[in-house]
Amino acid sequence: MEHLALIYFGIFSFISVSCAAMVLFARHPINGAMALIGLMTSLSGLYAILHAPFLAVLQVLVYAGAIIMLLVFVIMVLNGAKDDHTPYFDPLSLGLLLVPAGILAVLVHAFRKHPLLMNEKAVRGTVDITGQALFNSSTGNVVLFEAVGLALLAALVGAVLLAKRNLDSSKEN
Amino acid sequence: MTTIPAICIQFLALVLFVLGLATTLSRRNLFFLLMGVEVMLNAANLSFVGFSRTLPGEASVEGLVIPVFVIALSAAEACVGLAMLILVFHSRESVDADAYSRMKE
Repeated sequence: MEHLALIYFGIFSFISVSCAAMVLFARHPINGAMALIGLMTSLSGLYAILHAPFLAVLQVLVYAGAIIMLLVFVIMVLNGAKDDHTPYFDPLSLGLLLVPAGILAVLVHAFRKHPLLMNEKAVRGTVDITGQALFNSSTGNVVLFEAVGLALLAALVGAVLLAKRNLDSSKEN
Repeated sequence: MTTIPAICIQFLALVLFVLGLATTLSRRNLFFLLMGVEVMLNAANLSFVGFSRTLPGEASVEGLVIPVFVIALSAAEACVGLAMLILVFHSRESVDADAYSRMKE
């Protein structure tokens, strides 16, 4: 039973990395969106075996359910198939990937000095405990929660305003 | 507790982040730019969860709270980003990022 978590970790990490690679190499946006759904679902499985069931459910509900749905909807509306003449890759900017390579070198050095170990006393992140940490007034998470609510409201109003301006301009035309 | 090595989770998160960064930097299609940002945000979330499992007691829940905020903010980002994409697509009829190098037109 102890090895079961490792096996699941291997399966989910393989699916997530291959889906992320599919997003990188997909020709059509709809293929990329489908690969993104696979990535979100496998990450949800990873959260579940890392003892964070609340995040796992949130990942499926919000990412796979809402954000990707919105993305697929917009791809359908704009008919991304018109995309034939758009060039595939811009290889010059890949040179910036040297930065994460440097980060990797720093990470390997740091972890070799101080090995990272799982803590036996880590709490399982159930809805109850995560909610208590979210609304615990001593850590200041409540202020962050309010700020995120404000940001969501601002995004909502911004999206409505952008769409409204779009309607007005189409009327003038 | 699980037997998964904590360092493996961090390396998985780094690989996912690099793939998302490569998508955002190198793809010319605007949809893939947004998708790359989503992949990078998810890699950061995975890193947070992985690190939170290395702390004892109440401190281990703090790392699970931040991904909740990240998920909410990425929903806002996708909402506004896609609205802007629809808007600029109607004026330019192209999803090539280089077509939008001159914003005032």
